[in-house]
Amino acid sequence: MLGLIVRRAASSLFTLILISVVVFAGLEFMPGDACTAHLGRDGKGAVLEACRARMGLDAPPVKRFTQWAGDILRGELGTSMQREKPITEIVGWRLRNTLVLSAVAALIGIPLAVLLGIIAGLRRDRLFDMAASGTALVAMTIPEFVSATLLILVFAVGLGWTAGVVTIGYKAPLLEMVSAAFLPAVVLSMVLAAHIMRMVRASVIDVLKSDFVLMARLKGVPQQQIIWRHVVPNSLLPVISVIGLTVAWLLGGVVIVESVFNYPGLGRLAVDAVGDRDLPLVQAIALLFGITYVVTNLMTDIAALLLNPRLRTYRA
Amino acid sequence: MLRFVIAAAVISGAVTFTAAEAAAEKVFRRANDLSYGGKESLDPISATRFYEVNDMVYSRLVRQDDNGEPAPELATAWTSNDTATEWTIALQSGVTFHDGSAFDAADVKYTLERIKDPALESPLASVLDFIERVDVVDPATAKIVLSKPHAGLPLLLMDYRVRMIPEGSGASIATTGIGTGPFKIESYDPEGQTVLVANEVYWEGSPKLDKVVFTAIPDSEARNQAMMAGQLNFNTLTLDQIPQFKDNPAFSVQNYPAGGWFGLVFRTDTAPYTDARIRKAMRIPVDRAEMMKLMVGEGNGVTGCDQPVKANDPFRAPLDCPPDPEGAKKLLAEAGYPEGIDIEVHTADLEPGMVRFAEVYQQQAAKVGIRVKLTLAPSDGYWDDVWMKVPAAITSWSARPADQILNEAYRTGSAWNESYYANSAYDQILDKARATLDFAGARALYQEAQRILFEEGGTFIPYQQNGLRVLTRDVQGIKPLDEDYIRWHLVDLIPK
Repeated sequence: MLGLIVRRAASSLFTLILISVVVFAGLEFMPGDACTAHLGRDGKGAVLEACRARMGLDAPPVKRFTQWAGDILRGELGTSMQREKPITEIVGWRLRNTLVLSAVAALIGIPLAVLLGIIAGLRRDRLFDMAASGTALVAMTIPEFVSATLLILVFAVGLGWTAGVVTIGYKAPLLEMVSAAFLPAVVLSMVLAAHIMRMVRASVIDVLKSDFVLMARLKGVPQQQIIWRHVVPNSLLPVISVIGLTVAWLLGGVVIVESVFNYPGLGRLAVDAVGDRDLPLVQAIALLFGITYVVTNLMTDIAALLLNPRLRTYRA
Repeated sequence: MLRFVIAAAVISGAVTFTAAEAAAEKVFRRANDLSYGGKESLDPISATRFYEVNDMVYSRLVRQDDNGEPAPELATAWTSNDTATEWTIALQSGVTFHDGSAFDAADVKYTLERIKDPALESPLASVLDFIERVDVVDPATAKIVLSKPHAGLPLLLMDYRVRMIPEGSGASIATTGIGTGPFKIESYDPEGQTVLVANEVYWEGSPKLDKVVFTAIPDSEARNQAMMAGQLNFNTLTLDQIPQFKDNPAFSVQNYPAGGWFGLVFRTDTAPYTDARIRKAMRIPVDRAEMMKLMVGEGNGVTGCDQPVKANDPFRAPLDCPPDPEGAKKLLAEAGYPEGIDIEVHTADLEPGMVRFAEVYQQQAAKVGIRVKLTLAPSDGYWDDVWMKVPAAITSWSARPADQILNEAYRTGSAWNESYYANSAYDQILDKARATLDFAGARALYQEAQRILFEEGGTFIPYQQNGLRVLTRDVQGIKPLDEDYIRWHLVDLIPK
């Protein structure tokens, strides 16, 4: 068991190294460099030379990569070209805000999805199931920027129940941030919930057909007990890994949703950094997204191992 | 149920309370687009100045009237010696800065001489490099001494960055924002909210608004959403956003002369464009009105005849240049290309429309046998590797006053002379204009310079794009003019 976890962690570490190489190389192969990209029209002569010297761009790529990677291991993400501040300082608050947004979205989306999925699975092909599955399909296919705009139009412009876009600063207190995150989180949780709900539904249907449920029925176990003691816990196990995968989507989703709602998180910062052609910041954010993805997947893998004894005995 | 009723009562109470509060206090809400990524500085001469805020908290010596001509602001009058090398400026009395200190000639001296400080790297330094020093004659009079004649000094003092700051405040001004303007800084956070409050003792009268709140919203669609949701009173628009507000009774859309432009630059030092006839043949066949219509839509710009000068500049030449395909063919034949000519034009997807501009030109030029091969260069490094390097490329400029742009981009040897134009007669006209104190005389010279550029210059400029903004209906006192024309102490919110 421990060996399995160690092996998973090692392969995650390898993935992280690979990600850092890809992130670094990707920007390396672009025409120009961080200085020409950032300075644009002013990037000439002495100004350009000074910038290159300041950023250490005159060193060969391999040396710069080891330097960059070494800094990251020490917790240094470099300096933003546009903001002229340490990247750790810029990213910190925004990472918190994005985590708040994701957490609110997960708190809205996951319980809702699990509940709807169980009911839909138990009442397969009946009216509730068809309505819920249909709605999920629609929710999955509407792009976030459309649902975000629609929600603002309905709830902020039309009904006036909520504010439209977020107008508080990135350092706002946690509680204010949580309430600001509500409408954007609803948008994110729509797609999140739809994916998980469909998975839960399918899983419940599978488990209902399994031998042990049939056995329980034959033994005369009451229906409620079959559902809550046998069907639900077993059908939720595969869902844990789906939640991990959905994080990947969530990271892509926050970029759009944060921009539309002006939510001061990492996603909006990513868009701003690209707009400012601030390559060190873009690099750092790409790496952070990569780390979040890998760590979340590792955590869900471990959670699945802990909760599902069957996985532990499986050894290749 | 009871609990629900209480909750509803509390909520409606809260709503009424905020409504009453809003009626008592007039709060004007705007967005800042974070185009400097949080480096927005309250120092008016910084390269990353927080321009939306600076317009409200600082005053200039001279401002433009609605026609773009110099009018008194902190300077009540200005006169020069006969050679336009010494300017005596009389100052408004009784003006105080936001910190309570009095504004006088020493502040003028400090502000203007500080611009030259090389450590600040202000983009304004090269514009005002001919100011040698400022003498304090008495507290209400300053004398500006120039290193060479400049009759256009009042026009240059109108620049939206030449704003007066207190003597000795250079080290702190970037975050304090202490000026003499109608609003003063209450809190400053360019990445969050920046709050301005009315300067009750503003020397032109107390502002009608109580507060101005700026929220950082970098995404232009998010700014629109905020506008729609009633979170903003004022916002700039791009062309494609007009329909969202145009027919909505809650908003009014303003369209005002601004002056940003795209151009097609032919390097006058590179064959075949060394021949002035070919340069002219490249420019005159185009139907400029049609091109503007295709690019920005009718009424959203002002057509021109290759003039870099903005549409409402008092020195803009009234030129007329209807499409002349026959003339272009004749010039091409004379220059040795009777069968037409093959050229290559570089562009990049740097700004919306920059590629389409080249495509529309390609179609327009085809009718006289100018066969344009378009080359799409990577956006990254365009200004470094393509612009001012290849023989013909698309360029993009924001509005600049006549004297500035005509010198900056066309004078022999100047750093941003993108067409490598070299004409000593042209340079002499600009020198003479700077030495001509009579306004009409100077105007005639600047107009002559634009005429020369149309006849033989290397830059094709079919139109200047207008600026667009949307206001909520209750906003009063904002004329359809560029932002630095707005008199913010007169702006009001009157619910309808």
